[in-house]
Amino acid sequence: MSAVRGGAAVGVPDEGDPADVVLRALADPHRRQILRLVRAGELAAGEIASYFDATQQAVSHHLQVLAKAGLLSERRDGVRRLYALDPQGLDPVRQMLSELWPSALERLKYVVEQDQKKTATPKRAGRKL
Amino acid sequence: MTVAEVLTATVRIAASPADVFPYFIDPALMVQWIGEWADLRPEPGGRFALDFSKTPVRGEYVEIDPPRRVVFTWGVAGNDSFPPGSTTVEIVLTADGSDTVVELFHHDLPAEELDRHLKGWTAMLDRLAQLRQGRG
Repeated sequence: MSAVRGGAAVGVPDEGDPADVVLRALADPHRRQILRLVRAGELAAGEIASYFDATQQAVSHHLQVLAKAGLLSERRDGVRRLYALDPQGLDPVRQMLSELWPSALERLKYVVEQDQKKTATPKRAGRKL
Repeated sequence: MTVAEVLTATVRIAASPADVFPYFIDPALMVQWIGEWADLRPEPGGRFALDFSKTPVRGEYVEIDPPRRVVFTWGVAGNDSFPPGSTTVEIVLTADGSDTVVELFHHDLPAEELDRHLKGWTAMLDRLAQLRQGRG
């Protein structure tokens, strides 16, 4: 999205982070549409493809990306491949959001305690009893 | 399939609740620990506006009970999937000796309701990823 000068990129996800794999999988509107389609229940690859103008190969690629990210479960039934939503696939993303508050609260702790040191007089600190 | 989720977080701070509480209602103190800009009207129904990592978080104060409890709503302006007021943040301060234990509960977060929230969440989470990386 946005890059800073000097070659370092801002906002480029770490390849190895599971949350980023999920986010990349979710970043495409076709893939989000696929997730909505399979939400109610399992669908075959061909049925999913029938909802799109895209080629079967393109849809198949999207299915693979979603399956690799853990958002879809995949099983074979004869020659058909069946896909279903895997609700646990969003866990890494949820976990990432859950890191927002702990890290913010750690900053709060640091800021408040620094401010306390600035305002506390030696008298107040020394005469607690 | 709609499961409302509560996120919780907690921290212990070496200060009294009365010393910690203003950091949730005073914009100048708030931006020291979250966000780059804040406009806060700490009264029930009062404006809660906070920009962080370029995300305009908007809501309103629901309850202010100094120095123990503060509740405000939390959403993203201009985002249909995660609109202002759609989730609620509750903060409880409890004195423990000379410390304060801060407990935070983020209510009504979408868990499995992919339909409505997918888009908003991905946009929000992208920004959080940038924030996290920016802070290293």
